[in-house]
Amino acid sequence: MSHIHDLGVIGGGVHGATVALFAARGGMDVALFERGPLCREASGVNAGTLTMQMTRVALIPYALEAHAMWASAGDWLGHDVGVVVCDGLSLAFTPAEAELLTFRAGKRREAGAPIEIVSGARAKEIEPGLSGQALIAGHCKVDGFANAYLTGLAFRAALIEAGVSLHENCPVAGVEREDGAFAIRTSQGVKRVRRIVLAGGVWIEPMLAWLGISLPIKTLINQLSVSERIAPVMRTVVGIANGLLSLKQYPHGTVVIGGGWQAVGDRERGGVELLPERLIGNMRLACHAIPALRQARMARAWAGLEAETRDALPAVGPLPGIADAYVCGSVHSGYTSGPYIARLLAEHILDREPAMPLFPIDRLLAPEGAGTTA
Amino acid sequence: MMSRLAAAASRPAEISFEVDGRILSAPQGEPLATALAAAGLLQLRHSPRNGAPRGAFCFMGVCQECAIHVDGVLRQACMTPVADGMVVELRGVP
Amino acid sequence: MSGECDLIVIGAGPAGANAALVARQHGLRVVLIDEQPDAGGQVWRAPWPGLARDANAPEARDGDALRARLGASAVDCRFGRRVWSVTSGYRVDALGPDGNEAVCAPLLIAATGAHERVVPFPGWTLPGVIGLAAATVLLKSHLVLPGERVVVAGCGPLLAAVAAGIVKAGGEVVAIVDLAGPAEWLKAFPAMASRPRLLARGMGWALKLASKRVPVHFRYGIAAAEGEGQLERVRLVPVDEHGAPCAEPTLTLTSDALCIGHGLVPGAEITRLFRARHLYQPLRGGWVPELDGFGRTSVPGLLAIGDGAGLKGAAPAEIGGRIAGLAAAHDAGRLARDAFEQAAAPLLKQRENLAAFADASAGMMALRPAQVAAISPETIICRCEDVPRAEIDAAFAAGARDVNQLKHFTRCGMGPCQGRMCGDVAAQLLAAQVGSREAVGYWTGRPPLRPVGFEALIGSFSYDDIPIPKPAPL
Repeated sequence: MSHIHDLGVIGGGVHGATVALFAARGGMDVALFERGPLCREASGVNAGTLTMQMTRVALIPYALEAHAMWASAGDWLGHDVGVVVCDGLSLAFTPAEAELLTFRAGKRREAGAPIEIVSGARAKEIEPGLSGQALIAGHCKVDGFANAYLTGLAFRAALIEAGVSLHENCPVAGVEREDGAFAIRTSQGVKRVRRIVLAGGVWIEPMLAWLGISLPIKTLINQLSVSERIAPVMRTVVGIANGLLSLKQYPHGTVVIGGGWQAVGDRERGGVELLPERLIGNMRLACHAIPALRQARMARAWAGLEAETRDALPAVGPLPGIADAYVCGSVHSGYTSGPYIARLLAEHILDREPAMPLFPIDRLLAPEGAGTTA
Repeated sequence: MMSRLAAAASRPAEISFEVDGRILSAPQGEPLATALAAAGLLQLRHSPRNGAPRGAFCFMGVCQECAIHVDGVLRQACMTPVADGMVVELRGVP
Repeated sequence: MSGECDLIVIGAGPAGANAALVARQHGLRVVLIDEQPDAGGQVWRAPWPGLARDANAPEARDGDALRARLGASAVDCRFGRRVWSVTSGYRVDALGPDGNEAVCAPLLIAATGAHERVVPFPGWTLPGVIGLAAATVLLKSHLVLPGERVVVAGCGPLLAAVAAGIVKAGGEVVAIVDLAGPAEWLKAFPAMASRPRLLARGMGWALKLASKRVPVHFRYGIAAAEGEGQLERVRLVPVDEHGAPCAEPTLTLTSDALCIGHGLVPGAEITRLFRARHLYQPLRGGWVPELDGFGRTSVPGLLAIGDGAGLKGAAPAEIGGRIAGLAAAHDAGRLARDAFEQAAAPLLKQRENLAAFADASAGMMALRPAQVAAISPETIICRCEDVPRAEIDAAFAAGARDVNQLKHFTRCGMGPCQGRMCGDVAAQLLAAQVGSREAVGYWTGRPPLRPVGFEALIGSFSYDDIPIPKPAPL
């Protein structure tokens, strides 16, 4: 009989890697399986934004904890992901946007995010790079960003140090229940684990199907672009009221433009194509906010996938009816909140009481209209 | 120093342009990178990470080493025809 | 340049221009786009607009003839436009003098040419060090001499072409520094002799150089380029038959211009963007799209021709362009299968006759892995981001196993040249540790195909016109 790990994690993004890391540090013998290199899908190509002003209200308490984790990544992760903590501004350029912003900021504030509504003039004091066209802004001191492309490098080193058995470039074809354990069929042979976490981002839908669970997951294809290095033009994270802009300048000078404008693609093929009108639209929005960006050149654009459940809340918790099996993913703004939510799941697996509730998927599996709520 | 061949060619009339406060002249329409080199200016910018001196390298629009500020906008000097009154700053991106 | 047409050709060099002309002859509405102000590509590049030159040079003849044929045709030439986005459909977006322009067609031919490979050495980033192909642009299109005391170095037939061009124009070539030795040239000679006209031109170069007593250092490479702020000296080092230094640097030359090139790399960005199947073919310059005999890639409606689809040189590119033009006419329903095959047959034969020369020439310009392996740790590989070799080795140690992961770990290839200058060498350095070029792959194709200025791209607009998507969930 081959070796049996205490825990097998399938999916090496920020969720899977964090569960694996904390489970291993909690004393478990953990194996992690990733079909490519670590954190090269959503976790490595997202905009790196660590903002409350794009986070879903229900996730604000989690995102606040996660923000603190990112800000102290050097302590718990032990490796640099280029985190910058700074102010965040969410702008409203029209009366309708001002109304939306006031409403949304209020809801997020009720949930604990320290967001204040400030005048356009005050916003320009906070961010001198602004165009001055904003009527009002949501101002949050808990904001910032990480350098997403460093995520894999950092987690890889941390996982190895924690003793996780790391299987990169190791696609999993299926999982079967077998004698009180799980048999994971991988490209490197069958691996056996006592517990299993499915943490495959947009791919948790096909992963759950291995265990007979049908959970529809919508795949968002978010367009991003980045300028070449330019002189400092901004020092905050800038967004707009409806959440369709994220903008920040990295210490080395590049400006990343995101916000979730949709590209062409799907789960099977990834981001296939970026639409020029939408790149231009997103860029116009960015330059409308920060005019000095007009002088920059676009160096690169790409698309990152994001998973969304029916209620756009996470799928994180035990699988109903299958002992020792868990799912971890589909967290809206998952890069922001991911480390904290995934750590909660690790606590649960380690039989410790998580500090905040998980997001079991039972609510999503009940028949439509059966009165379930998020 | 780069020098223009006299025998083989006829060139448009010279125009003047400004480079970091100096007035230079070159045939109108000559690629800026070449006009600068012909004036002895090979060093166009510094690399952003090491601050090392850089100049035009590929002369065909690929390498981006000659991207400098022309009339306030970052442009590739090898792809930019020199024009009368152009204001050139020998600096690239930080 | 809004509107529809039957075929878009990107790149107006020998391949693209001929494809456009042939397709037009068969009735297709063709749009031909190029970044340069006129057709000819790099090999037959026209003098810059306004500069008039002596039209007797063979390059001038070929290029001028091509430009005349295009001018007399109904091909819709749109030059001075930088293509930045190509999406399915096919929709091509380009930045021109009036901002962004889009054009659509069911068929697309990528004829985007090649760019220079320079295997890094200390000091290769100094001003005054330029590419060998760059030197041909200066000589043919700008009509300038690259410097007062020029060192011409690297490998392949461009060495003699550039050196002879400089000498002919009255300049001084301090030395030719050739990685190859006489033995390699002799080996290539029979194949080169299959094209007497080109061989004669090559012999002409050799005689010209000999008559001026230009020193040729066979089996030498560049150990370092040195100077304060710009090039002042070039150090030479003997190399072995694989291109790796095999002794201490022996010779230092005073020089203000070093023209250096180690072959060319196909600019296959468009076929990568569409995820066409690619193959690693060192003789063709590296990663090239997999093609049928007529230029069709694995992606329906997308063809790739010329040096951008695999290095063969100008004459095979012209013929390949004509063949692809026929294929486009056939695929557009303007040319019956029989007529297509009949018209293509003699061209295929002609191209086959050129294969021996193309292979011999490309062979001398192929990447020498031992030369890459010998690069010192502190030598800059990625010019844009100043990434030295040591950081690439460190990324391997930290777990990078493919080039895109390497990019994330180091920023190598993330700068404005988009990895064109460093990509081939960085991949080779990683491949030497991982096992193969196939294993480490190539940069993922991404827009923009070249950096584009936001100002030019976004133009003037009002906020209300921005199609902002509906709000994200609260």
